[in-house]
Amino acid sequence: MTPSKRFTLLYLLTATSLGAIAQGNFSPYSQMGLGDIEDGFYNRTTGLSNTGIAYRSYRFLINNNPASFSELTNQYFTMETGVRGSFVDYKGTPVDVASTQSADITFRRLAMGIKATKHWGTSIGLVPFSTQNYEFNVPYNLQGSGTEVANHYYSGHGSVNKAYWANAYEFFHHVSIGVEAGYIFGQLNQKDIIQSGSGASLVSTTNDVNMQNLYMTYGLQAYGNLGKKWQWGIGGTFSNKADLLATYNKGVIGSDSSNLQTPQGTERYLSLPNSYGVGVSLTHNQKFTWVADYRYQDWNAVRGKNVYPGQDYAIASSERGSLGFEISRKKTFYNSKVELSYFQSGVYYGNSYLQINGQQIKDMGVTAGFGINSLKTPLAYAITFQYGVKGTTKNNLIRQNYANVTFLINYGSIWYTKGKKFE
Amino acid sequence: MTINKYPGKKLRFLLFSLLAVLSLSSCQKQPNLLFGNSYTNDNNSANIVVVDTSTVLMATTFVDSTSTNGTGYLMVGSYHDDYLGKVTSRAFWQVAPPSSLPTISTVNDQYDSIGLILFFKKSNPWYGDTMSVQSYTVNQVDTLYQLGTFQHGWFSNYSLRTNPTPLGSTTPIYIWPNRPYTSQSINDTVKIKLDDNLGRQLYNMVYNLSDTVKNPTIWLNWFHGLCLSSSNTGNAVYGFKDSAIMRVYYKEFGVVGTNKFIDFGITNKSYQFNNVRSDYTGTALTNLQKPTQVLQAPPATPAALTGHASYVQSITGLNVKLTFPYLNAIAQRPDYIGLLRAQLIVRPVPASFNTTWRLPPSLGIYTTDQNNEIGVPVPASGVSGAQTGALSLDYFNPQTTVYTYDVTAFIRQQITNTSVNASQTGLLLSVPSPANVSDFRRLVIADQSYPLNQRITLNVYYTSLYPHQ
Repeated sequence: MTPSKRFTLLYLLTATSLGAIAQGNFSPYSQMGLGDIEDGFYNRTTGLSNTGIAYRSYRFLINNNPASFSELTNQYFTMETGVRGSFVDYKGTPVDVASTQSADITFRRLAMGIKATKHWGTSIGLVPFSTQNYEFNVPYNLQGSGTEVANHYYSGHGSVNKAYWANAYEFFHHVSIGVEAGYIFGQLNQKDIIQSGSGASLVSTTNDVNMQNLYMTYGLQAYGNLGKKWQWGIGGTFSNKADLLATYNKGVIGSDSSNLQTPQGTERYLSLPNSYGVGVSLTHNQKFTWVADYRYQDWNAVRGKNVYPGQDYAIASSERGSLGFEISRKKTFYNSKVELSYFQSGVYYGNSYLQINGQQIKDMGVTAGFGINSLKTPLAYAITFQYGVKGTTKNNLIRQNYANVTFLINYGSIWYTKGKKFE
Repeated sequence: MTINKYPGKKLRFLLFSLLAVLSLSSCQKQPNLLFGNSYTNDNNSANIVVVDTSTVLMATTFVDSTSTNGTGYLMVGSYHDDYLGKVTSRAFWQVAPPSSLPTISTVNDQYDSIGLILFFKKSNPWYGDTMSVQSYTVNQVDTLYQLGTFQHGWFSNYSLRTNPTPLGSTTPIYIWPNRPYTSQSINDTVKIKLDDNLGRQLYNMVYNLSDTVKNPTIWLNWFHGLCLSSSNTGNAVYGFKDSAIMRVYYKEFGVVGTNKFIDFGITNKSYQFNNVRSDYTGTALTNLQKPTQVLQAPPATPAALTGHASYVQSITGLNVKLTFPYLNAIAQRPDYIGLLRAQLIVRPVPASFNTTWRLPPSLGIYTTDQNNEIGVPVPASGVSGAQTGALSLDYFNPQTTVYTYDVTAFIRQQITNTSVNASQTGLLLSVPSPANVSDFRRLVIADQSYPLNQRITLNVYYTSLYPHQ
């Protein structure tokens, strides 16, 4: 494929991906703050409940920790994409019993990586950072009229994405450090449409929030052997808090589609918090791997800057703990072991960054995954299952019981180097 | 490790990814969640505010005459209305001999009688108490039936001199318009026997084939016309069809006797007109301002001077002018960013109407200005054509009876109108044509001294955004 073809296809894919990310199931809590902040990576660690800060892979792009890319096989080029199907069952007083379920299929990730030099691995990718997807109606009496009822139809759709370039360098065969330069960008399209009894729009307030800025993440991994059959690994990540430039374009459109208030960009800085992550891994006989992660985002420290419209909720520091277990089936070819398939499972538990009506929204669940690496083609496939519970029915809130199926495809080959090799 | 080059497979992989995204990303269904409002609503979105307390000034405008000629109806009768006083209507018209005169024999034919035949069909207009009786009288017009030098048509305030001696009259009779039937028991027909002297004279003219009955000009110079009026005992006005006939009856003798007749029908129907008079004595309209000069704009009498009410009866020249002197104040509110719509609700005074004193089923709304003249119809927003109020009528709950108008287009212009004459630019309520000159049904509208649910109301719905950005 010529560079121009590759560029064109990549462009198309990226453009389409951004739109696709914006679609999805209704998420009632996404109306608050920045929306639902993504905690999945949609990679090899998805079946491990996204546990992989200390995980390293010679083939797969482990964007849980930018330090992991140095593990890629020399001169190896790889691409990954992920699609997720999701089914959600909503519980709680605010849920209309006539319609309590939702399902969708969405694109989640596109990433590429290459081992550029013997110790330097690099990757670029596009992943969702947060998504917003809600719609609800609130009947109300017109101001000044005791009898006339209209309807507020609130909706919010959109996503904030992260395009990243991550680099990892290995030192002393046991330590790798990584830096990920993430560019956060995206748009949340929020509407408040006042409708008449017949559903006709009387006036519509649109608020398009454009967000952008850099968000740096640093990673470290250390690893080694414990005897002949055990390998150990530890890892850590740190994302430095950063201002997030938010441009609010609020406009008002009349019932005749005339602009009553032309959108004017009002800029304000929100703040992304310091984020910390630590993880450990332990592998036995290159077959069994145990991993554990803990992640913490210090939203409390940036609460003052993150002022959002609305009330009855607050930003709070979030945390997430997860455990994973993997069985890898390998076969020996010419003195090297090649992985044929793997099985994964994991559990997770976390508190989100939203505290609503005094309740911090919890998210917990289990995962299982199965992957096959084709020997005849450069492709690898994986399918993962996830069942989780998010939220609560207490205090007039909503609990979402969700089941996700994620399909991952990995393409990998040795980069064409016209005969030059650095190994 | 083998070095491979897979350009084709790379391409296929990318294409597969693209297709997967395109085909799979948007299939979804959604639940109905009644969740939110307080979490997102920052009271900073546009809202809709209703103002129903905007001042509406009312005045009754009066034009001294309406063009009541050629309406198709001979409006005859009188009634007393508690609000509008005594209303009387007479009809004038011309008759003509038939174009083809019969041959009358002195041997076999003999004059019998002459009468006026009036028809009241079911759809004809009427107003008042149909349980009252009144007699109808026919007089001959005693002057030339022609327009004067400065006269441009036949109007309600015109009349022609009549011979004080009636040609004939009925006894007091009932007319029941909904059936329709009269107490003369000849269905929808009212017959009035006329003077036989006139009948014989006409009969002889026909027999002699006189020039008077052969030449229309000579005829009209001799027989100017007829006037139909009613006694003062009744309490209703009826509209007879303008197909009334003056009929001369005669008998033709032979083996079998035959009744024959000669019809003198209405001619020159555009000259037929109704003379309508109102006497406001004893009502609030005694304060009504009337024109004092020939060419004068219709004066407008504020509702405060006419019993805190204004009156619509277009056939007698009464219409209602509405002005909105403080409308600008709404546009000057700090949160006002645009008009959404405006609705005018016209409420009749609850006690002013019932099944006898009925309301106009259609009430037009027009622009007007400082001259108080009727302007163009005010259409509803986005809809062409004149509005007629969509009367919602409830005799059992009269306070819920309303005429409703979409006056968005007018208010949109007026709310920012700062011209000198803005305070005099307004709306005029009037009965639309053709009922405006043939229908006596009237409307009494309470001014803003009445409680909110009984008075005329302008509801202004505006889009509010506060604070401005």
